[in-house]
Amino acid sequence: MNKFLNSPLQTKIISACVLANITIFIVNLFLIVGINSMSKDMEMVYESNRSLNELSVALNMVQDSMTEYLSSKTSESLENYYINAQKFKDLTDDLGDKVTDFSFNRMERNIKYMSGEYLEQVEQTIEAKRGRNVEKYRAYYESSTDLFENIQSYITSLNLELFVINSEDFITLIQTFRTFEIIGVVVMTFVMIGNVIIITSFVKAMIMPLRSLADSANEIADGDFDVTLPSVSYSDEVGIVIGAFNKMIVSIKDYIEQLKVSMANERYMQEKELMMEAHLKDAQLRYLQAQINPHFLFNTLNAGAQLAMMEGADRTYEYVQTVADFFRYNVKNQKDAVTLREEVTLVDNYIHILNVRFSGDIGYEKQVDERLLDHKMPSMILQPIVENAVNHGIREMAGDGRIVLRVYRQDKDVCISVKDNGKGISNETIEKILSGDYVSDENAYDNNGIGMDNVIKRLRLFVGYEDVLRIFSEGEGKGCEVVIRLPLEGAKNVQSDDR
Amino acid sequence: MKVRKDLYEKKIRRQYLVLILTLLFTLLTLIFGSLYFRFYRLELVKQAEAHTYDKYFVMITDNYKTDFWQSVYEGALEKARESDIYVDLLGMNLSRDYSCEELMKIATASKVDGIMVCADESSSMTALINDAVSNGIPVVTLYGDNTHSDRLSFVGIGGYSVGKMYAKQIINIIKDARREKLFGDEGIEENRKVQVAVLANADTKDAGQNIIISAIQDTISEENVTDAEFDVSIVTVDNTNAFSVEESIRDIFLNEDVPDVIVCLNELNTTCTYQAVVDFNKVGEVNVLGYYDSSEIVKAIDRGGVYATISIDTRQLGEYSVSALLDYYEFGNTSEYYLADVTLIDRSNVADFLKKEALDE
Repeated sequence: MNKFLNSPLQTKIISACVLANITIFIVNLFLIVGINSMSKDMEMVYESNRSLNELSVALNMVQDSMTEYLSSKTSESLENYYINAQKFKDLTDDLGDKVTDFSFNRMERNIKYMSGEYLEQVEQTIEAKRGRNVEKYRAYYESSTDLFENIQSYITSLNLELFVINSEDFITLIQTFRTFEIIGVVVMTFVMIGNVIIITSFVKAMIMPLRSLADSANEIADGDFDVTLPSVSYSDEVGIVIGAFNKMIVSIKDYIEQLKVSMANERYMQEKELMMEAHLKDAQLRYLQAQINPHFLFNTLNAGAQLAMMEGADRTYEYVQTVADFFRYNVKNQKDAVTLREEVTLVDNYIHILNVRFSGDIGYEKQVDERLLDHKMPSMILQPIVENAVNHGIREMAGDGRIVLRVYRQDKDVCISVKDNGKGISNETIEKILSGDYVSDENAYDNNGIGMDNVIKRLRLFVGYEDVLRIFSEGEGKGCEVVIRLPLEGAKNVQSDDR
Repeated sequence: MKVRKDLYEKKIRRQYLVLILTLLFTLLTLIFGSLYFRFYRLELVKQAEAHTYDKYFVMITDNYKTDFWQSVYEGALEKARESDIYVDLLGMNLSRDYSCEELMKIATASKVDGIMVCADESSSMTALINDAVSNGIPVVTLYGDNTHSDRLSFVGIGGYSVGKMYAKQIINIIKDARREKLFGDEGIEENRKVQVAVLANADTKDAGQNIIISAIQDTISEENVTDAEFDVSIVTVDNTNAFSVEESIRDIFLNEDVPDVIVCLNELNTTCTYQAVVDFNKVGEVNVLGYYDSSEIVKAIDRGGVYATISIDTRQLGEYSVSALLDYYEFGNTSEYYLADVTLIDRSNVADFLKKEALDE
């Protein structure tokens, strides 16, 4: 069975058809054999009558040839007699000699023995005739003729009797034929129904794997990859298709898994990269902060301030104190995030120091929304910007240089604007500064060491987007404005995240 | 998920089960159909087979159609079958009627194993019997004897005792007549003799018939009855052709002098005589003494149309004839005479016979 089930679909379908046809063929064979045997029986029905007639004819010929010989004594008639007698004898030998309940059997027996007797008598008649024994052959002739008539009458009677019996047989045969017809039709019907069922179940059995494959395919088409894969029952075409389908599903699944893994990997790698960058920045920052951590200077300045106070030079004391505060801020603010207030104070201190150095050259104006001063921001941001504004903007302007620091709220952002009326910056330079390509003179004079580049990067890292700092300049000699936008909400988040 | 796979497996298994079942069903239908048909035909063929018998006897009678011979034949056949022998009533299946002589020739030529023949004393019959015996076929004469032949034995009825029975009945009738004369008006009518007519077949070859007649005469004369009171005459009935018997019996009634007692010595005569008595309105005047107990005759006794009849145990007759032949085959010899029982039926015991007949039917 399994061997068959594993054979190709074509073989299976052909086998189903062949099987059905063979069944019908066998049934037909049965019917034909039945009809054949019955038609043979029908042929044989009147066979006994026919053979009896033959017997009767032979008997007549014996009698005739004997009579002819007796009357003419020709050698031809004698020869005829011998031939006929032999023929008659052969025929009578075939007759049965059984005594049964059936009268035709007994009659047959009687005919057989009477015929024997008759042939003997005829033989003697012929012998007597040959011996020219007139008396004797007359007597024999008479007795044999009597016998002849009796046999003939017996044959006639038997013929009649057999005819009656045979007719009955014939009717029975015809009835049998009808019965056979009915049985044949019934059997054919049953076999046909059986065939239909066989082919139906065959086709169903063959289609079933296909159907389950179709179901599975439909489910997969709906996006459910966790469907049960149809089992490969047999290795026919359907089995092969199912096998291929299963393999395909499995490899698609695998592929999706791989894709997922590689995507996760990529994300992880990105995160890692970002982290590394952040750490690097952090390290750089710490390094830069370390550069501007002049403990010694700070302590020295403190000592100077105390000296100035002891000498009664109040302005000197104040100046030195401011410088000390300025540097203390650097020392103190090792942490990243500070309040806006601290940054603003640092700018105040820085301007104060510069004004002492350059004897009040720089006009400094503050427009600050006090409510926003507790907002967090990275440290060491505003001072470098103001420093830049002073160094590159208004240094050569003697007493006309002005710097305006504004802190205000715009939409959901805290805006910090540092505006000068200096010589301004070209757009190309702005672009360069924002993209980080601008190479500043590191060893420039009067620089506290923190460049714009660092400021921008730190700001961007802090807020998480690029557009945190904007530089506006309306051209040469028209001043410059640097605006920092810190998100009101985001900054708080950052603040909480950071610590 | 696992469930679905199982379901599928189940389904496919069910499909194959259906396939196998259907194949089996188809095969069974075929086998059953052909077997049914085979048996159906075997049943038909079986009818043609029958028991084969060891030996074959034939019974030859002058008229196989009568109840008498049919009854004898039945007795013989029943007895023979016990010994695996079949008895044929020869001539029954033949298309034309044969005489006893012709049937004897046929039987001899057919080399049967035994012949029971209702013979007569004719010489041709003697020759035929001798011929058969010389061919090694034992012959038993049945009912009618042929004493001169080489027959094995005779099976029949005691003619003399039958005659005696008839005679007794005749005497009874005479006595009745006397009583009537005593009590009836005397003197007017002449003292009339009781006329007894015995119907005898024209061919007097039948010795039995003669014995019966002489026995009647002997017995009546032995009884103290004066000759003046009865007159026994023998009326010959022409039985040479099929319808002459009836005619000759009617002739008797057409005579002026109708006999008071008519003795019939065979079944046909009895039936014809009874019918004539009824037709000629002579019931009560003519007393018929019948022969054989066919239902017609027994009914006639019941009605008073026939005075009395004798009943021959026909089955016994048949049985005896077969046992005679059987004895011959077994012991080489057998007794020469077998006599079957004879009983008289008259109004006193006719009821029993009617009952018996009703039971037989």
